[in-house]
Amino acid sequence: MRKRKFLLVFALGLVLTVVSASTVFASEENRGIVYKFWKKILPFDDRLELGGFLKNETSVRMAHGFDEFMKVKNIAGLKVNYRITDWWEMFTYFNWFWDGAYSIEDDRYGNVSFEDVNRKLRMPEKLQWLREAYFDFYFDKLDARIGKQQVVWGTTDGVRILDLVNPLDYREWTIKDYADIRIPLFMGNFEGELLMDGHLQVLVIPDYEPNYYAPAGAPFTLRTVDIGAQGTANAVNQGVSVQTIDEKPGRQFKNTKVGARWQHVLGGWDYTLNYLHTYDFASSAYTAFIFRPFAQPVLQLVRRAEQIDVFGGSFSKTLTEGFWLPFLKGWTLRGEYAYIKGGAMNYGYDKEIQGTVDVDQYNYALGFDRYFWTNWLFSYQFIQLIADPQEEYPGFYTNVFGIPTATENTLLFGPTRGGLDETTTIMSLKISTDFIHERLKPEILVLYTFNGDWRVSPKVSFEINDRWTIAGGAHVFTGDEQGLNGQFDKNDQVFFETTYNW
Amino acid sequence: MKKVLLFLALVCLVGFCLNADALDLVFHQVYKIQPGMSVDEIMQVSEHVQYTLFADDYQSTGNVLYVEKTGATRTRKFLRQRIVLGPDSQSPEYRYKDLIMFTQPTSVKGLGILSWSYVDADRDQDQWLWLPSLKKVRKVSAAQGDDSFMGSDFTTEEITTRRYEDETYTLLGEEKFKGFTSEHDNQTYYAGRDCYKIECKPKRDPWYYSKRITWVDKEFGSTIYDEVYDSKGNLYKNIFKRYVVQKVDGKDYYTQDYLEVKDLRSGHKTLIEMEDIKFDQGLEEDYFSERTLRRSKW
Repeated sequence: MRKRKFLLVFALGLVLTVVSASTVFASEENRGIVYKFWKKILPFDDRLELGGFLKNETSVRMAHGFDEFMKVKNIAGLKVNYRITDWWEMFTYFNWFWDGAYSIEDDRYGNVSFEDVNRKLRMPEKLQWLREAYFDFYFDKLDARIGKQQVVWGTTDGVRILDLVNPLDYREWTIKDYADIRIPLFMGNFEGELLMDGHLQVLVIPDYEPNYYAPAGAPFTLRTVDIGAQGTANAVNQGVSVQTIDEKPGRQFKNTKVGARWQHVLGGWDYTLNYLHTYDFASSAYTAFIFRPFAQPVLQLVRRAEQIDVFGGSFSKTLTEGFWLPFLKGWTLRGEYAYIKGGAMNYGYDKEIQGTVDVDQYNYALGFDRYFWTNWLFSYQFIQLIADPQEEYPGFYTNVFGIPTATENTLLFGPTRGGLDETTTIMSLKISTDFIHERLKPEILVLYTFNGDWRVSPKVSFEINDRWTIAGGAHVFTGDEQGLNGQFDKNDQVFFETTYNW
Repeated sequence: MKKVLLFLALVCLVGFCLNADALDLVFHQVYKIQPGMSVDEIMQVSEHVQYTLFADDYQSTGNVLYVEKTGATRTRKFLRQRIVLGPDSQSPEYRYKDLIMFTQPTSVKGLGILSWSYVDADRDQDQWLWLPSLKKVRKVSAAQGDDSFMGSDFTTEEITTRRYEDETYTLLGEEKFKGFTSEHDNQTYYAGRDCYKIECKPKRDPWYYSKRITWVDKEFGSTIYDEVYDSKGNLYKNIFKRYVVQKVDGKDYYTQDYLEVKDLRSGHKTLIEMEDIKFDQGLEEDYFSERTLRRSKW
């Protein structure tokens, strides 16, 4: 039955694509019926710019004979820019989605968490449909962008070293472009020119959102969330009351986050110096077991967003001259570094939290990019994440009676609650090229963590015409369940995307 | 010791002879091809015109049409801005800085490319990209010269990176151009115009082309037609360039307003139409920076 449903959806999508493609060929200059519709109902002059897309993202789990949809997500995007004056503009990006997998596959999550999964993943919650909304002011030496937006720092792709201004939406892990999963925040973003090619950016961020995680029972539920949900259920079954306290920074002036970046190009070297005073988007967990006389015992879980300071910098340089080392000419070197002060991590052993300690982090990445054989781009990255506990923690796990056991404590990796080495080393390689006048674009991304954790994501996209693009590919995860990608070992999937741009 | 000095003197003499025909063209000045110029001087003037080095700045909008053999067409719309710098400017190491922003279709809208080209011919361009899918500025390795320029039938070298120093030139003669019939509008252009017919061979060997025969228009001062031969010596591509003249402060600025290239092997064509061309608008150098790329919102 499911196979038939899958084939039906796929065939319908294919027919629609081909039919629409042939009609669009006939009227290339025409921006399509959707554009005409919006232009008609928004009777503004040429100062109004409109654009948008309709997109279907379908993915199928490989593990069960390709008969289980992981998503059938339909997305509508509308971007509107209005030029009020030559120096003042307003931009808004609406993004709405509906994931049909939660109707088709409603028997898959036959458990108590399905309601939660359905609510969080089927449609946008709260203001999530308003992706971006801001005013731009352009002055001679100063640009100001005020409103809901995303700001990206750093030069690394796919791993966040300095890119810490906005939280992330991990509900589909990190398989989508970061631009689509960064959670925009309301902020003031001011960038002034102090030197020729030297700019100072200042951020004032009164807004706070934590990272979004998929609830228990969803395809990309983090292992730590699953363990927490199981623990809560077990505690409740054993007559323990569970109390969860979220300590998020309130919307007060004193909680305003600030950031500054100096960016300069000097002798062909593009470098930045960055500072960010913010709150960690991944909250630290503090647990306490409270015995009360003549009352239910309480398992108290406090999720606290720690205040952190980030000091860092980045550089990039293309070797445009090859006088001394001709073979290096054409390479682009990238790097970034972040020292994160004031964070916290849990310690304990696999699945079991013993306590929480302050941990500073030193993270860095080096990247090397170059074209080979005309248009094959190789992009390699070497990344190290170093956790440096700032206080001693007990060497051995202590049981509920306070007696140390023979199990050694380690820091715990936030997303999986598995043991964390104090130094995590990751390598990534992305190879991309294009054929048929950049219409056919194959690429492959390989992420490898030195503990045997892999993700391999091949993808091919094809531009049918100006309006329609199709893509297909796979995400394959391998490794221990305590690993970054290994936790999704059963989530290997193939995916198809169809996009209509207007 | 004498032998060493003799050798050095010989090297200097050879170097002088090789550059004997080179003109010392000044940026921001209009040059025209004069009777009696050598082939190297003609090609230097041609390059000066191609990159609008005679102007202070340049701006245009444009359309790129990718035409399949079947007639199916894809389009790109862009805004291109350039500031010409040069040794007499406040940034003497730069030849020009160039910004291309794509405005349509929506799938590429917002893509921006900032390039800095250096006076030193041995130095590659520096390039930055604004990628809407990353929402950040990315320093990128310049595409290789033989790579397709933005998916077109032009190579990157033909549009942005080819320098006078990259080829050797032989004057084949002076002749009236036979005319070029555009497959886009079926008009025949420039039949009977006075041209220099020049053979250009790349210094790089092997390279994606073995030679090109170019027709340099005596009035426009630059190439109107190229025949490009592959590494086996077979003609595989022809390129047509149309010019318009603009009067700016009493000077005649000749500039390309239409390019048409056809790959004879695949039958694929690329047409580039420039519109709303403006010169010397007072663009500032600091505009050609990452800050401008970061203004992109799409």
